[in-house]
Amino acid sequence: MRRQFSLYLRLISIQLRSQMQFRASFWTDVMTTGLLNFSYFFSTYLVLQRFGSIAGWTIAEMAFLYGMIEISFGAMDMIFSGFDPDSFSRFIRQGLLDQVLLRPVSVAVQVFGSAFVLRRLGRITQGALVLAFALINLPVHWTPLKLGLLPVMWVSQIMAMGALFMVGSTLTFWTVQRVEAINILTYGGVEVMSYPMTIYPRWMRGFFTYLIPFIFLNYYPALFILGKPDPLGLPAFTPFLAPLVGGAMLFLASRFWRLGLSHYQSTGT
Amino acid sequence: MPPIISVRHLHKRFKILQRRPGLGGALVNLMAPRYSEVSAVEDVSFELDEGEVVGYLGPNGAGKSTTIKVLTGLLVPTSGEVRINGKVPWLERERYVREIGAIFGYRSTLWWDLPVIDSLELLQPMYGIPAERFRSNLREFSHLLDLDAFLNTPVRSLSLGQRMRADLCAALLHEPHLLFLDEPTIGLDVVAKEHIRQFILHINRQRGVTVLLTTHDLADVERLCERVMILDRGRLLFDGSLTTLNHRFESTWTLHVDFDAEYDDVSLPGLDPPFRQGLHAEYHFDHRQVTSAELITRLLERFRIRDLEVRRPPLEETIRRIYREKLLIN
Repeated sequence: MRRQFSLYLRLISIQLRSQMQFRASFWTDVMTTGLLNFSYFFSTYLVLQRFGSIAGWTIAEMAFLYGMIEISFGAMDMIFSGFDPDSFSRFIRQGLLDQVLLRPVSVAVQVFGSAFVLRRLGRITQGALVLAFALINLPVHWTPLKLGLLPVMWVSQIMAMGALFMVGSTLTFWTVQRVEAINILTYGGVEVMSYPMTIYPRWMRGFFTYLIPFIFLNYYPALFILGKPDPLGLPAFTPFLAPLVGGAMLFLASRFWRLGLSHYQSTGT
Repeated sequence: MPPIISVRHLHKRFKILQRRPGLGGALVNLMAPRYSEVSAVEDVSFELDEGEVVGYLGPNGAGKSTTIKVLTGLLVPTSGEVRINGKVPWLERERYVREIGAIFGYRSTLWWDLPVIDSLELLQPMYGIPAERFRSNLREFSHLLDLDAFLNTPVRSLSLGQRMRADLCAALLHEPHLLFLDEPTIGLDVVAKEHIRQFILHINRQRGVTVLLTTHDLADVERLCERVMILDRGRLLFDGSLTTLNHRFESTWTLHVDFDAEYDDVSLPGLDPPFRQGLHAEYHFDHRQVTSAELITRLLERFRIRDLEVRRPPLEETIRRIYREKLLIN
């Protein structure tokens, strides 16, 4: 376990080194991703300003939702770079998985170590700025519990979204076709989590409660932190389900990953 | 000593999706996929003893690479038993691959964007090679393979020959007892090929590494292997020494003769008339019926001869005949 982790760090450090080789283009990349995402937030901000609030959420409260999920998504996209279905399907098609299977190290560790897109820092920074804006303008009464919940939310969200990346990659063991369906879930899910869940139609909320339980990852913990009443009337512990949901999703995804891997080894695509 | 590799009744079948044409067909495919089975390896059994260098030959699509993939733990067979170093490759992959080296000629096992030396150094923690052993192996191999000139070049910028040498080094740093080579000389020029062959011989003799190699270049086989296995359409057709193979299948030898004087008729009784060109003549004969010594004696009795040469057909031709005429199917 320790050996695998230190190997992971070593693989990542190689990735970072080669990305930093072209320093200028690296920083431009970081800036543009950050700015691009920020302009997106800013246009929403302008629209919101005209309405003042949506479904009882002020601009600052919405910025909290958005900032939290942007940070997590950026971090997930960085940590799970190797499992990004689009790049992983290329990895498979080029036959690079055979090289991985020849090494005496866990396949997952090697895939994690195969990419680490540092450029995503741009998106994280942008999320952090929006979150800072939210925190400055929010009249939150901070308690240790609320403060502690923030990192728990991040970790849970990273696990949940990473699980979808992993499922998407695993599907490429069966089909060489692009796995758009799962991408829509991942990227669409991020969108969905950036807004209060009550703005969505009932069926969609049901989907993100029972099938892909994203509702517990951002919306409910945010209700608790912001001290807002729960319009859906779920039990009082609901805001604290995030780590369970994130952990369960990642666990199931890793089981599915193993299944896919053994399928690959019996078919040799 | 027990064999280092033991393969019994190995079968590998692949399912191939039968695609139906058109949009409707695609839809039907999704609902009720129809598969056909292709057998890549059929009932292959063999053993390898420690220290052997064995050539695994066969035309394209014969199942050579599939076999190697099963033996290296990349593929799980449909049925059959494989024991290598006492392990079943695909069941304990991580522990098993520690003990073998493998090279797939068409693809590097190194990290594409890294300088060669970084790639090699990454293998030390990966295989848990003691630092001292690692240093001395690296020194020895980079000397033998002449790696020094391009140790700091990224793998993607290497020539094919350089890449193959770097790959060979990478496959052996952890001191495996067993080396699998799938087309190690593919696409290389003569000098590079010879370099690779010399190195393979060296590690076989000096370190006792057992080698199983597939190749299309029969010069590899003649230079490296005492034993060959021939595979066609998934079936093992021949498993034996190169000498046996030659003896059984290269029946027609050629005797080249340069006469010292003009003769009208140089044919020998019992042989086809020779091909003639000026003072030169070529006699084809079956070496199992008449020895070249006998033939030469008969010629010397009748004619004045300046020069003689017996030529055996190149292995390539023998192998080609075996495939073409299905000589090995009883």
